[in-house]
Amino acid sequence: MPSNPSMSAAIVAAAESDKIGYIEEGTTALNLHIEAIRNVCAEAGVSPSEIDGVFSTNNSNLLAEYLGIHPKYIDTTAVGGCSFQMHVHHAMAAINAGIIDLAVVSHGEAGYSSRKNQGKGTLGGGGGDPWLPAAQFGGGPYGAWGPPSYYAHALTRHMHQYGSTKEDFANIAVVTREWAGLNPRAVMHSKETNPRGGPITVEDVLESRMIVWPLNILDICLVTDHGGAVLISSAEKARSFKTSPVWIAGAGESQSHADMLEMDDFTATSAHASSQAAYRMAGMGPGDMEMAMIYDSFTVTAGITAEMLGLTARGEGPSLWADGNASPGGKLPVNTNGGGLSFSHSGMYGMMLLVEAYRQLSGTAEDGVHGIEGKQTNAQSAVVNGTGGLLSVTGTLVLTSDV
Amino acid sequence: MADYNKPIPSPDPYVTQPFWDGAKEGKLMLPRCTTCNRVHWYPRILCPHCHSSNIEWFEASGEGFIHTYAVQNRAFGGWADETPYATAYIDLKEGDRMFTALRGVNAEDPTSIKIGARVKIEFEQASEDVFVPYWRVVD
Amino acid sequence: MAEYNKSIPSPDPYVTQPFWDGAKEGKLMLPRCTTCNRAHWYPRILCPHCHSSNIEWFEASGEGFIHTYAVQNRAFGGWADETPYATAYIDLKEGDRMFTALRGVNAEDPTSIKIGARVKIEFEQASEDVFVPYWRVVD
Repeated sequence: MPSNPSMSAAIVAAAESDKIGYIEEGTTALNLHIEAIRNVCAEAGVSPSEIDGVFSTNNSNLLAEYLGIHPKYIDTTAVGGCSFQMHVHHAMAAINAGIIDLAVVSHGEAGYSSRKNQGKGTLGGGGGDPWLPAAQFGGGPYGAWGPPSYYAHALTRHMHQYGSTKEDFANIAVVTREWAGLNPRAVMHSKETNPRGGPITVEDVLESRMIVWPLNILDICLVTDHGGAVLISSAEKARSFKTSPVWIAGAGESQSHADMLEMDDFTATSAHASSQAAYRMAGMGPGDMEMAMIYDSFTVTAGITAEMLGLTARGEGPSLWADGNASPGGKLPVNTNGGGLSFSHSGMYGMMLLVEAYRQLSGTAEDGVHGIEGKQTNAQSAVVNGTGGLLSVTGTLVLTSDV
Repeated sequence: MADYNKPIPSPDPYVTQPFWDGAKEGKLMLPRCTTCNRVHWYPRILCPHCHSSNIEWFEASGEGFIHTYAVQNRAFGGWADETPYATAYIDLKEGDRMFTALRGVNAEDPTSIKIGARVKIEFEQASEDVFVPYWRVVD
Repeated sequence: MAEYNKSIPSPDPYVTQPFWDGAKEGKLMLPRCTTCNRAHWYPRILCPHCHSSNIEWFEASGEGFIHTYAVQNRAFGGWADETPYATAYIDLKEGDRMFTALRGVNAEDPTSIKIGARVKIEFEQASEDVFVPYWRVVD
């Protein structure tokens, strides 16, 4: 029975930026945000470190990074001037659910000064100063143009720290391609679906076009068109549909940074924290997982995440894919749809993880009815991890089914 | 400078100005919190370590070490002419990190570039007011 | 057309094309759901009333009524020369609404414009392929 969240949360302080109005000397949205957060914390006598939920219209992860805090709950609902009332609504729900205890809802907007700034020093894109946290994915003075430009630095560091090799990571792409071979809708299913489709070898990966050393193009996900959706029901009604329920046993989210510049350890992501929260909620551990859907924007993303999810030891993430263990018929199937590397990846891939995890656990992998032979596993539990930004933010789910 | 064909930063007038002023004079200026004595980068109006607002700028050594790197084989605009070239995250001697393009390395041979190698900052004039920092490997 | 100095629409190639094709011939083409028989605007790939995907386009009367209006006294670009001018939401005879700029009204006297007034569509050529709809008050 759902609880009534009334009175489960309270607003305990309110503050503004240092100045408001027509600020003639100019200011930026980011500075207005930070001043307001600083001031509201001072009002209540708390440190920003005590905040475990951040809510804003742009960009809550960036605010967390700026403050050096690591919230357990992030919300960037941006639907206009009413967003802040909605943030309070969302914060109340998160508090009532026991996920967080202290949330900040923040606003910063240079409605007047932004016209004069003309993109200088502004938050959220267009800013031409590379030392401000706006140009995440490129721009900047050094020719970095997108995620590959940055992700490569993490692989260099992993190889240095753990003695892993490009071959170790290339094998992730090889195994993922095996699953694409069983998925008729995977872009790289076969030579018929794409000239570059069909099985690949480690040598193929290492000899494919070098984009940003140490990442070859076969280490890098596709860029496709893709739409997807999932429906989520209350437990009471979950069995009333003509489809089977896949239970959300655990969920967690975490972040370590927004800009890779702020990444402490290039071989570790917040997937450790988000998966720990999910496992704890589920009362399960990595050893209970019968399959894994691991965001594979790059082979390095998947390899590092395997370690963070507790599926392998630190430094040994690629071993999850060794010896056929993650392959069709293996003991822990991984990325059974063919992954972002070989199935489909539109830019944000997390929905594809959800759709595949649902299909596998409900026994309907790909044909929507009974599952395609070879592709359908008999897994009844899955860990599903999404990694966004520049290895910046993660969300982990533990899903179970009784089918 | 006349032929600087890469993206030229537009300095922020509010928080990062001391960096750009120092760059014009070939100096690396960094922000440091006077409450906890730690350096941070990128510049902020409050310390990300202890959240104090007491920030001062000081002239740093301009020295650091390569924390990690990559070699850009594919680039656009003015940077397309430079490929392959190396980018890196530099551990600043005084603390925290900067992102940059490396000089004094052989980007055609990626494994010849060493994590931990000592680097020194240098500034290249991009426009009348803007000097862009690069880091060069020194022995 | 040569002097059309206002923003010119870039037709969407996927869903709205029948409208633009009709506009070239002076016809108002509207989408209608064949399951529930209701028109909708803006065009969609499924009916917002009953959610069926069975959409067809038909030639509408081009008639409607003013649902509400306003007079723009401040505008930018090419529209600055037209101020004061009236905009309105038109109740389409076949159902649903369109937004437009009104013709055949005295925008200098806002209260002379009547809610419920009958209007008819007309198309003005903006570029070789694009005809922009306007609505004119008729008695």
